Parts: sequence; C-alpha cells; structure tokens
Amino acid sequence: MTCGAPLDVRDKVSDSGWREAPRLRDMTEFRFSASTCQVEGELVPVAELSLSPQDGVFFEHHVLLWKDESVPLGSMKTAGGMKRTLGGMPLILTVANGPGRVAFSRDAPGELVVLPLHPGMELDVREHAFLLATHSIQYSFVRIKGLANVLHGGSGMFMDRFVTAQYPGLLILHGNGNVLQRTLKPGEKILVEPGGFLYKDSSVAMQAVQLPLRTGMLGQHRMFLAEMTGPGRVGIQSMYVHHHSSE
Amino acid sequence: MNTYVCRYCRQPSDPSAPTCPLCGAPVDIRSAVSDSGWVEQPPIRDMAEIQFGQSRVQIEGTMVPVAEFALAEQDSIYFSHHVLLWTDPQTRLGNMSMRGGWKRMMAGMPLIMVEAHGPGHLALSDNHAGEVIALPLQHGQRMWVREHRFLGATGNIRYDWEANNVWYDTGEDSQHQDIHYPMGQYGDIFAAQDRPGLLLLHSPGNTFIRDLGQGESLLIQPSALLYRDVSVRAHMHLEYPRNQGFAFWSPRWSYHKVWVRLIGPGRVAVQSVYQPPEDYEAIRNSSYTTVHRW
Repeated sequence: MTCGAPLDVRDKVSDSGWREAPRLRDMTEFRFSASTCQVEGELVPVAELSLSPQDGVFFEHHVLLWKDESVPLGSMKTAGGMKRTLGGMPLILTVANGPGRVAFSRDAPGELVVLPLHPGMELDVREHAFLLATHSIQYSFVRIKGLANVLHGGSGMFMDRFVTAQYPGLLILHGNGNVLQRTLKPGEKILVEPGGFLYKDSSVAMQAVQLPLRTGMLGQHRMFLAEMTGPGRVGIQSMYVHHHSSE
Repeated sequence: MNTYVCRYCRQPSDPSAPTCPLCGAPVDIRSAVSDSGWVEQPPIRDMAEIQFGQSRVQIEGTMVPVAEFALAEQDSIYFSHHVLLWTDPQTRLGNMSMRGGWKRMMAGMPLIMVEAHGPGHLALSDNHAGEVIALPLQHGQRMWVREHRFLGATGNIRYDWEANNVWYDTGEDSQHQDIHYPMGQYGDIFAAQDRPGLLLLHSPGNTFIRDLGQGESLLIQPSALLYRDVSVRAHMHLEYPRNQGFAFWSPRWSYHKVWVRLIGPGRVAVQSVYQPPEDYEAIRNSSYTTVHRW
C-alpha cells in the first residue's frame, strides 16, 4: 500500500520539527488492496477511487461527489446514535462497494492527507475531517473527556477513532489549508489552537488548558488551547475556525 | 558596498541568497509586471526564513501559510489572539492592552493584542487562502494597513489605529441612519520606532503592488486595498452609470459604483480577494466624495 507522496522532493521540515504533509501532485495515482485511488486537483482536491469487487470504503454521505451507476451504496450503522446526533455527527455512515468508480471531496480549499494504517494502529481524527476509509478499518468514536475539554476544547464532543486490527487499511482525511505533522517524544508537550487540531495517534493525550490571557471587552473571555502530550504524531491544519474566544 | 535593493520590501538586501533575508521574497525570479504597472508580489517560498533581531520567522505552506517564529530571549512579537496556531509551553504570553476599547469593539477590531516573549517557538496563521506578506520597516517608517489583515509584528513596532473617514449613509432619514464603511471603519497604523522592525500581514488571494508618483491617482475597490504608505491619500469616489435601470422605480434606489481614489506619492498594495460594496441604495450623505455621472 502506498500514499501517493512524491518521492523526488525534499522533506519539508520546519526548524521546530513540523513536517509538511506531502502535497499530492495532480492526477497522482496509488494502489490500496486491489483498488486504486487517483487525486485530482490541487485547490479542493478530489479522491477518485476505482474499487475492485472485493474492496469497499465508508464515508460521510455528504462528501460523495459522483459515482458510477453500478456502484452499490449501503449503510454502516454506528453505535451511540443519540449521542452522535447530539454531538452533531452523522448518524449513519455510507458504504460503497466495488466494482466501480466513486469520487469524494469536501467543500473547502485544502489538502488530502493519505494515511496508510498498519495493523495495530489507532488514530483519533477531528470530527468532520475524515473523507473516507477502507472497510478493513474499524470505526468508532470517542467522547472527549472532561467538561472543560468539551466546552473550551473547540473540537466538539467527539472524535472519530480509526483502528486497524490484523489487516492494514487506508484512511484519507481532508485538512483545511496546509497540513503539518509533528512527532512528540514521551512527555513532550505542545499547545495547539483547538480549531487547528486535525489528527493524533491515540497515544497522544489531549486536554484543554487555560492561558494567562483575557480577551474581549473587560477581559470577560478566557483563552484556551489544546495541550498535546506525547508520545505520538499530531497533525494540524492552518485554516480553522477560532472556537475558544470572541471579541 | 551592497547596492542590491529588494524590489518588494525596498530594503538593501543580499542578491546571493535564494530569498530576501528581510522579507522572504524570492531573489532569483523575473519581476512580473502588468502593462499598467502592477508588480505581482511573489509568494514567499515554502520554508523560507526571515531574520529579525536575534530571531527568525519561517514561512510554511503555500495555501494558507503558517508563520513559525523562533524567538530569542531579548525579542518579542505581538499579534491578535485568534491567529495563534500553536506555541511551545515555555513561550511567555501576555496581554497588550490598547486604547479605545469601546470604539474598537464597535468596529469589530480586536480589543486586546497578545505579546509573546522569547525564548520559544510559536506559529501564527490566518483563516483564508492567500499569502503572507513581510514588510520590514525602517526606523521612522509608517504604514497604513487594512483592518484584520495584520498577522504579527516585532515588539519595537508601534501599533496605532485611526478612522479611515471613508463612509456613506443609505438611511431613509436622519432617524434611521445606515452607515457603510467600504474600507472598514478604522485602519491600522504601524511605525518602526527606535530601530527597524518586521511587520507580517496575511493577504487573501494574490497581492500586487504599485508606486504612485506625485499627484498620480488610481481608483480601486475599497476592500481590496491591503496597505499603503501613509503619504498616499484616500477618499471616496462615486460613479453613476447613464442607464439607471429600474432605479427610477423607487427614490430609495440609485445604481452607483463605489470607489476609493488613491493619490500619490507612495506605494500601494491590493489583494485579489475583496467584497464589493452594495450598489443599489441611494446615498444620502457621505465623507468627502467626488462624483462622476456618465
């Protein structure tokens, strides 16, 4: 399984260790299982899949851009329906099975982040950032713990969790703007704007912390950031909605 | 003696570097100039570094670029709190309060700036696809910047703001005023004090710059103006087309085009993303305005 990243470009790492997600070239094609994925466009990229008969993917229904008439669609019920509804997450995920072609895109300028998952990996993703995942990946969602984290964390009530058991899988996310990734050592901390958080290994702990700053008229607003503690990867997006304070 | 001057930041620079060490603009490219004299500001290259004081800032990404600062102990920057993307825990953050809180709140401007003191790392990014523009300011140099375009500035740059005085009223009468500020109600003014400083802006879309000669004028979309030398004057200009369409139907309607006239001398910059002002309601009153009826 590959991820489509160009091999003939230098790794782009900032002085503090943030690595840019590899920018997928227009019309880049890569394989997963017996199927292929082609990335089209650079401003609001589209992921076009050519699914083989034994493969399938699941996704949120509103990211489906087009499909062959012959591609069957099904639904994948998720646990905790009421909780998901209250949390603003889709109640039912949609499944597309091969053979046939199907394409996906989200509605914002940004980058596709292709994450091949090896067996035994767990990845937490900001809600509404996931574009598609192959059917070998187990999907669940985790509640963000702590009232302060929910109220001030800016990441909603839940995060999507993707787990691979014995088979590898392919997960594609849509990041708004540019996407940067950093690997934290055990115990290493970084403070991230909650709206900029995109994904993390489940080994990375996340909690909202208050900064010694006040904003707004008479300083009535407190300012919170998400404290990430390693070990593991953290991905951020450079375009985001500022959640935690107002003027 | 160094005679190379960067064509974008207008400062003596190093022609042997791949990018200008003061503003990050590529050095080894041909100038892209339109027939009318607009110079396209080239985007700062991915991972380009800009030096200021004992610190540096690195620009990452090309779609919604991130400005990542490595602050030395004696250096500081300030910014509006909502552009903070991430920070090291050891970077010291504090409030920088400003005068005119009520007016700033009513105008939708940030009330409180955040100061960050080194040593440490932090990164800023805005929420629009566009470019980061680096403007090194020499001692005593002042620059007007459109509100909400400011990303960050070094601690030695003084920040102030003033009313743009470009407005018009489409209210029905004096009791029901509906005042519009096509350039924003206020503009930010930045001035380098005792030593040179660095000002970073975020420009939605692409950016073009032009030098106006003494008395030379230009009409632009009011919300497209990104920055200008304070020597450039600005006032409103209205054009009424000959054919008013259905505007005769109601005295409240009057088709017109709202411009801002810029008058040199000085440098002006425009961004390619803007919001045209509404053009169908009759204007009752305005700031100083020239009018042309076709």
